Amino acid sequence: MSDTTVIAGSAPRSFRRFIERFPFLPALVILVVLLALNGLFEPNSLSYRAIRGLISTYLALILLSVAQTYVIYAADLDLSVGAILSLVNVGIIMLMQHLGGSPGGVLLACGAGILIGLACGIVNGIVVAVLRLQAIVATFATSILFTGLALYVLPVAGTPAPTVYWRTYGGTFFGFPFVFYVAVAIAIVLFLIARTRLITQLLSVGDDQQAAYQTGLPVTLIRLKGYALCGVFAALAALCVTGDTASGDPLVGGEMTLNSVAAVVLGGTALSGGVGSVTGSVFGALIIGLISSLVFFVGTPSEWQNLVQGLAILLALMVGVLVGRRAKS
Amino acid sequence: MTSVDQASRPASSGLATLVRQPLVVALALIAALLFLGETLSPGFASGEQILRLLIVAALMGIVAAGQNLVIIGGREGIDLSVGGVVSLSAIVAGNVMAGENGGILPAVAACIATGALFGFFNGFGVTFLRIPPLVMTLGMLGVLQGLLVVIRQGIPSGRAAPALSDFVTQSFLFSLPGIIWLWAAIGVFMAFLLRRTVFGYRIFAIGSNEHAAYMAGVPVKLMRISLFVLSGVFAAIAGICLLGYSGSSFANVGEQYMLPSIIAVVFGGTPLSGGKGGYTGTMAGAVLLVILQSILTTINIDDSGRQMVFGATLLVLMLFYGRGRSMRG
Amino acid sequence: MSKLQLRGVRKAYGATVALRRGDMKLDRGEVHVLIGSNGSGKSTLCKIVAGSVRPDGGEVLIDGRSVEFSGPNDARKAGIGIFYQELSLAAHRTVAENICLAALPVSGGVFVDRAKVAETARRYADLFAEVAGTGFSLDATVESLRADQRQLVEIMKTLATEAPILIFDEPTSALDRAQVDCFFGILRRLKEEGRSIIFISHRMDEIFAIGDRVTVMRDGETIETDRIADTDHDAIIRRMVGEKGELAPPAEAANDAASGGGQVILKVEGFSGPGFSNIGFEVTEGEIVGFGGLHGQGQSAVLRALFGATPGNSGSVVLDGRSMSAARPRAAIREGFAYISGDRGRDGAIAGRPILENVTPIHFLKNRLALARPSHLRNKALPALEALKTKYAGLASSINSLSGGNQQKVIIARWLIDRPAVLLLDDPTKGIDLQTKTDLFALIRELAAEGMAIVLYSSEDAELLNNADRILVFNSGAIARELTGSDRTRYNLYHAAYEAA
Repeated sequence: MSDTTVIAGSAPRSFRRFIERFPFLPALVILVVLLALNGLFEPNSLSYRAIRGLISTYLALILLSVAQTYVIYAADLDLSVGAILSLVNVGIIMLMQHLGGSPGGVLLACGAGILIGLACGIVNGIVVAVLRLQAIVATFATSILFTGLALYVLPVAGTPAPTVYWRTYGGTFFGFPFVFYVAVAIAIVLFLIARTRLITQLLSVGDDQQAAYQTGLPVTLIRLKGYALCGVFAALAALCVTGDTASGDPLVGGEMTLNSVAAVVLGGTALSGGVGSVTGSVFGALIIGLISSLVFFVGTPSEWQNLVQGLAILLALMVGVLVGRRAKS
Repeated sequence: MTSVDQASRPASSGLATLVRQPLVVALALIAALLFLGETLSPGFASGEQILRLLIVAALMGIVAAGQNLVIIGGREGIDLSVGGVVSLSAIVAGNVMAGENGGILPAVAACIATGALFGFFNGFGVTFLRIPPLVMTLGMLGVLQGLLVVIRQGIPSGRAAPALSDFVTQSFLFSLPGIIWLWAAIGVFMAFLLRRTVFGYRIFAIGSNEHAAYMAGVPVKLMRISLFVLSGVFAAIAGICLLGYSGSSFANVGEQYMLPSIIAVVFGGTPLSGGKGGYTGTMAGAVLLVILQSILTTINIDDSGRQMVFGATLLVLMLFYGRGRSMRG
Repeated sequence: MSKLQLRGVRKAYGATVALRRGDMKLDRGEVHVLIGSNGSGKSTLCKIVAGSVRPDGGEVLIDGRSVEFSGPNDARKAGIGIFYQELSLAAHRTVAENICLAALPVSGGVFVDRAKVAETARRYADLFAEVAGTGFSLDATVESLRADQRQLVEIMKTLATEAPILIFDEPTSALDRAQVDCFFGILRRLKEEGRSIIFISHRMDEIFAIGDRVTVMRDGETIETDRIADTDHDAIIRRMVGEKGELAPPAEAANDAASGGGQVILKVEGFSGPGFSNIGFEVTEGEIVGFGGLHGQGQSAVLRALFGATPGNSGSVVLDGRSMSAARPRAAIREGFAYISGDRGRDGAIAGRPILENVTPIHFLKNRLALARPSHLRNKALPALEALKTKYAGLASSINSLSGGNQQKVIIARWLIDRPAVLLLDDPTKGIDLQTKTDLFALIRELAAEGMAIVLYSSEDAELLNNADRILVFNSGAIARELTGSDRTRYNLYHAAYEAA
């Protein structure tokens, strides 16, 4: 029929399918370049110690970006992830204090923290999917709500985490830092989640909500589950933040919300839903981390660092979106 | 009054349909909140107090004007960079005028040029590189925040000229401050722009069906860039006024306007999906938001409770406005 | 007792009645054809049965029991599988995932059982293995497939429901002969298994090839049901058209008016672009040139390219003696082109906006206006709307408050305020009622009589035969034949359209 067009389009088509299969490839390339540049300007930055520091600092943003990814899969958005993170952070800090900082108490508090995240996610899901409010403004409103709760739990930053908690997070076991085990465990969990039915359903809803509904998928419930999953991962991010900062801060996550969106987009996931990968979001979060360290290593005067960082992230966002689209058209 | 006004008025005008008009909802809520405020704290609804509220609402409303245009223009139009532009403009204005009345005009010119420039960058990225507005303006926000750090390191924080401070805070004409007159003028300008100019007709056209507008000869790209430029300009004007309000510029003063400006638009009856709405409602939305915040400060509860009530109230109010369409036909 | 029965089912969207009265009975083991022109309510009826549209009234009975579905999921569980005309596929998911999407097999309660998905998908894909064409595989994303292949995926997805009641809403519109034959073979087997099938198609030959009974729909009502064996082509057409007889009275002086002397307004030579190549034709003053042929043979592509709506064209286009190449619609409009698409939703209607705003954009552009003065605009808009006998409450009412036909009239009216030199009509009557069609063609002939050059593509042969002075029959992106004068017969048109297909 239209053989000519097929042949004419065959060269870009293979590239296109490649990108389609691995939407995080541009992010990976940017990441490798950044790593190389970091190594070039500060050879120590590729040391074991530095990598360990990078992971323990950025594990929270990585998890928060993963959380954001799950709602963006379905073409939704969650501007409250940072607030959830803050709430869980102060929540577990206070719980651990009450339970006395014993290992059992710490674990109990962590479990409770995850439940708090889950509850926040369900609230978001109800507001956006069930009540059908616009995701951007509705999750902004819930973020104010969650921040208020966090301030109620702990009005000012400062209460420290029990020693056992941050010692563990920063510690080394059987020759490997604890955060490495965490990273591996998270990788396994993400791999498993990627194979669940829910992910396929979220992506189908993001592709075309109406089509998914007409197919017979329970669209509202699926979006609700997406937000719930998002809440759980925001809570996991809070556990990492708590380990990293060793204290409670009711506003710790506020700044991270927009970075999580940026990381997701950097990773090649489309805000319009339907395409993407958590792998990309992990890379995206690391890109944001590496950009800040590179800006530092290059010797940028301190007052210029934020600007250069902002420009670099904007540039990376643009490159990511453009490459992703080149692959499509 | 005019044919376009009638457009927003339903054919079967009964009480029930009237109640669903966003402007009516906003005005009714404003009245109710004023009454509530007066009950809770006598003097809340006094003339002097209302004037103070209006000044704050004007600042928010001027930012929301540009946001409103971008949102009506559709294609997920949104401008997250307004907060950064407001801050930048306040600093630029403060430094250019440096407390001298003679410096006001050059300062206004410099600020408007700055706002227009950043608006142009946003518009260029969104139209020609086809970066989603959320991503583009989010990235731009990062750049602006970085720029603010650089500027603040390099130069002393500027001061408002006395005439500017008087214009914003003191009685100007008929015992109303100048900023109220400015806001009213902007309201008239926006109504004229949206209802009496071809440009206005075209904003609605690209917002409700971009492709049909293109097929009817509307210069879609030029239009969209203009909307972002206007958004930058309005944010810049708000920045100048904010300088006059606070006397001197301090870092990130504009941040507080970013998401609230979007909420003011939504409360004014302009849905984020574009192609609908107007500025009159947004003005009411801004007043509503400011009164709500003000009531919460008069109630004797601490910051956390205030935030929780604020967030929850926003959610409840949103239920009055455009809920998404049911998937079932 | 019927497997499925509808009693007085109805549905309206605001002022637009989509389904006035739906009555039908579907038996076990039959293929029941629904036929009717676009907009006659077939799809709405199907969607009500499938649970994706909530009926305003009436009753749906399955096995004699009244059912009320809360949604498509509910209907699927009750044993209804549906092929949606607009397809219900997830573009970035694979073929296999799409086929199984409604009920993804899981292992361990949560994980997608990929082996099972592949196995299930394979079972249905194999049915079409011979005809699916290159590039089709279970791992391919739907986005990467051709239109016909996507339609096959939607068919497989429908079959995979294994539902006792299957609804196919125009499943063959993009399929080729072999694919249709293969599909019909499957339908016959399903019929023998005792499944009940509703089938919609516009191709008359298909209806007679596969149908057992036929229900004709017109203007949102089910008119009558017949056994296929007891009816014929003409009888069905008569029912579809109703008492109003022919679609529009034939052009009185169609053949002598313009085919001879008039001045050439539009001359196209060696025009090539995506979907068509080496197109050449002339349109003289006052002439209506028809584009005919099977759907999607390049007719729309040529019109859209002339209007500057698609890039990548080459060749010569001369308008009024001036050589031109419109890079975008804006330029084409200024040069004197007008383009009216049958796809109102995409190309025409500025949805949710007042009628006034929908009538004025071309006037703004051609007169380079900056201000919109309502009184001035009203004076311009009213005569244009009047010329088409448009029915509306007021210029300030939303275009969405009008019926499809009146919406199209509003869109056409925008071109009448400042007259174009050439009017390009791209299947302009798609999905609109008979009265509007009659009004529209009366106007088109009037415009031609006033000297406008008109190019008309229509997917309905009768419209071409009745209105065009000459018909250029398209095939695979080229003009296969030209029919003039007394050659313009239904037979010749069919013959030319199919001869090389």
